[in-house]
Amino acid sequence: MRVSKEWLSEFIELRETGAELAELFTAAGVEVAGVETAAAEECGGPGDEILDLELYPNRPDCLCMAGIAREAGALLGRRPALSGWANGEEKIWPASRQRVVVDAPELCLRYAGLVTENAAIAPSPAWMRNRLSKAGVRPINNVVDITNYCMLELGQPLHAFDADKVRGDIHVRLARQGETIITLDGITRALAPDMLVIADDSGPVAIAGVMGGLATEITPATKNIFFESAHFLGASVRRASRRLGLRSESSGRFEKGVDPHLCLAALGRVAELMSELAAGRPAALTEYKGELPPPRRVTLTEGRLALVTGARYAKTEIARVLRDLDFAYTEAEGIFTVEIPFYRQDLHIEEDLIEEIARIIGYDRIPTTLPQGETTVGRRSPRQDFRLLVRDTLTRSGFCEAITYSFVNPQQDALWGGKRRIALRNPLRDELSVMRTSILPGLLEAGARNAARRNTDWLLFEMGSVYLTEEDDLREPPLEAPRLAGVLLGESGRHWREAPGAYDFFYGKGVLEALARACRVVFHYERLTEARYADLLHPGRAALVRVEGERLGVLGELHPNQNTWGGARPVVFELDLDALYRHASRKITAAGYPRFPGMSRDLAVVVAEEVAAADILRRIRELGGDLLREAGVFDLYRGAPVPPGRKSLAFHLYYQSPERTLTEEEAGAMTAEILMEVEREFGAARRQ
Amino acid sequence: MREQLENTRVEALEFIAAADSEERLQEIRVRLFGKKGVLTQLMKQLGTLPPAERPRAGGLAHETRAALEGAWEDKNRALQAEALTARLRQETVDVTLPGTALPAGHRHPLNTVVTDIENIFLGMGFSIAEGPEIETDYYNFEALNLPPDHPARDMQDSFYITEEFLLRSQTSPVQIRTMENMCPRLPVKIIAPGKVYRNDDDATHSPMFHQVEGLLVDKGARMSDLKGVLLQFIREMFGPEREIRMRPSFFPFTEPSAEIDVSCMFCGGDGCRLCKGTGWIEILGSGMVHPRVLTMGGYDPGAVTGFAFGVGVERVAMLKYGIDDMRLLFDNDIRFLRQF
Repeated sequence: MRVSKEWLSEFIELRETGAELAELFTAAGVEVAGVETAAAEECGGPGDEILDLELYPNRPDCLCMAGIAREAGALLGRRPALSGWANGEEKIWPASRQRVVVDAPELCLRYAGLVTENAAIAPSPAWMRNRLSKAGVRPINNVVDITNYCMLELGQPLHAFDADKVRGDIHVRLARQGETIITLDGITRALAPDMLVIADDSGPVAIAGVMGGLATEITPATKNIFFESAHFLGASVRRASRRLGLRSESSGRFEKGVDPHLCLAALGRVAELMSELAAGRPAALTEYKGELPPPRRVTLTEGRLALVTGARYAKTEIARVLRDLDFAYTEAEGIFTVEIPFYRQDLHIEEDLIEEIARIIGYDRIPTTLPQGETTVGRRSPRQDFRLLVRDTLTRSGFCEAITYSFVNPQQDALWGGKRRIALRNPLRDELSVMRTSILPGLLEAGARNAARRNTDWLLFEMGSVYLTEEDDLREPPLEAPRLAGVLLGESGRHWREAPGAYDFFYGKGVLEALARACRVVFHYERLTEARYADLLHPGRAALVRVEGERLGVLGELHPNQNTWGGARPVVFELDLDALYRHASRKITAAGYPRFPGMSRDLAVVVAEEVAAADILRRIRELGGDLLREAGVFDLYRGAPVPPGRKSLAFHLYYQSPERTLTEEEAGAMTAEILMEVEREFGAARRQ
Repeated sequence: MREQLENTRVEALEFIAAADSEERLQEIRVRLFGKKGVLTQLMKQLGTLPPAERPRAGGLAHETRAALEGAWEDKNRALQAEALTARLRQETVDVTLPGTALPAGHRHPLNTVVTDIENIFLGMGFSIAEGPEIETDYYNFEALNLPPDHPARDMQDSFYITEEFLLRSQTSPVQIRTMENMCPRLPVKIIAPGKVYRNDDDATHSPMFHQVEGLLVDKGARMSDLKGVLLQFIREMFGPEREIRMRPSFFPFTEPSAEIDVSCMFCGGDGCRLCKGTGWIEILGSGMVHPRVLTMGGYDPGAVTGFAFGVGVERVAMLKYGIDDMRLLFDNDIRFLRQF
């Protein structure tokens, strides 16, 4: 709402500058986004200042000069000088032959039409055009300008019909199935049976409170005019306006609430201006008057005011604010009974009045205290702690954390994600139209963007939800499952001391191993054979990751087909964090360490390529029993003298007893036994 | 004998002095003091001397030996010192070369801010609650005092999935869910961080962003407590010299409602470009929980009161780190992320 100070001062004496008024309004919750200066030559009159009000939907009363003058009056402690019209004064004209029939009284509380004769359609005078322009409304002709001017002055939306084009009586009724109307903007609109329309004998001539029809538009040839001033139910106007995708000054005001008393009063002002501008002669009135509800009464107690705000207000102060707001009230023993004016339909309950008192006096009155209640211990849940652990583990491994959108490209998501996707009805664009079922597509996109910008050598991860449902049409809340995904691109160790090595499967596996250690679990890896990954991940460099038999996720190098990034091949992984959480352990049981010296032995065997190192290692551990404290692979070798198709694996074994010093012979015997079994089971040969 | 000893002494001292390495010196040691060493041999000959000559010769022999041993030790120490010096010189590095590259990752600034906010409120005894991002109309609007066809629904443009389900446009639904879970226990004291979604996309709006909701419900909770808690939060977040101011505002689920401004952290309140010359920066929305919302959560608004607030995480991050374009936060450029 753009408020000209010059126009406003017609209703209240203003000694303040625009900036001072802005501060005053803003401090009272009527936010002023900015103050513009309009030079004399620009606005064709004396220089002016325009306040740009950003109103919340609860204050439709401030959508007009009269309302803003009331608000300013309360804040300045100055009485506004409002016309009788603004206070709901009604003027009576002879009754028109045309009748108004309201078929839906629950949607239309009041309807009044003023007919004027002998219209002289012309531009309106400069002063009116200037005021409209300053308010951001484009002047059109005297009749349309008068409707806009009255609306801006009093808050009542108005519409002018060419009376000679309205045939028969006026009906305020619901639209009938199949009815259409061409609105003023020239668009044919299909009407639905829950939309309220104004109709004549031929059909709808306006969508109630939203927009008039083209057929009854005011034209230069118009002679007789029918000015409509009505009160339509906000929710109904809002529904129609949304369904039609058609918003207007009028619909916006009805939605938020218009004072029903203004109906007839606004026509009084229209008549006055029509005469003043010699635009036509007010002749007859047609009117429907529904029963207005009685004014609302809300009580405000001194005690509750103090309890809610934590501030102290004297009874006299409360009374002064209510008087400044021009609210009628009675008071007895600290209980104020306040009659809420119709233009303040935002005030329903005691808390609303508490805000009124607090905001007019100023929130600075409210002191700073701390909650007095019982002391509580703030804590994170184990699940929340777990997520922090995962995040810290990844950042400690050198990863940067990404945050990508939860909505993604459906085709990309279908590649990596689940079978069903939850689609948005009104997405920003197609590439952001479904809720992700995998984090990888978004993360890969971020990765590709980095690669395109020649950012190399990075590790990215994201932790977030994927959205899963079993239904085609969402009826039950979907599962929001936490996932962890990572993308690695480039080389590690690009440093003067180290030989660089590309991030590969094993680098990625090392990252997951660090995560497994942090969660105190053991991950198991097996060759990934799930068909869906056949074209996504390198078939020979991808693993299914399990924890205690449960599927945790996948790790692999991107399939060369998928890698359009050029250069290095990215490594990716995605894990189900709920599964990991179920198996993760936070319990630490510490033990001492053996005091007797241990014994190291190395074991190198040549096996077929297909033999998995992990299988041999598992067997070695079984055979070694309690005395084998550590066992690991320390070398992998292919090439002469190892025959083709075979590989040499070297294991490091460390024996130690908690009870005694082991002898060379014992270590030798155990190693020999292990070797024999490994040879037998895996077709291994001891490497010479 | 005497002559032999004297000759040996003179000759050995020359050798010791001339030794230029520890190896050489070891050789000399063997040649002098070893089993077949010159001096050892001479000592053995002492027994063949006539008894009368033995004491003097013996004395002289021991003297000679002691002198040579002393000279040898001195030379040995000198050589060792020299060798150490040489080694240290040889092992000297260019200390300006970069250190070993340890992996160093970075949390996303938004999550760092969320964690910081969480820690501040954990310290004030708030717990951390969560709620779904795909919400029902009931929790996102209706239970928050936004019935269907209420004009305040336009304050935010939501992403819909069905008539019933939408992407939550605020973290406030967690207020209702938490109250439902807690009722009738008191106090309810939580914050709820999370992602929220609105159909907006420009330099100052992202269709996905983050909020932290706060809720305290208890007997006698006051708006002044809200002010106190938020002042403490703001000072922890932006520095102990920050002040806050409360301005009336409107949210359907709070009454009275208040916008919180913080004294500008860039100019200290004098007025600058970032605070548009006002000295104040809008930071969060808050208010006393609307009685109808308390009722929806299962509590009796006659018996308890509450306050609630919602912080925009992006806004805090942008102010805290001097980020001027919100899109940077979701672009995931590694050069940006490595700064945090």
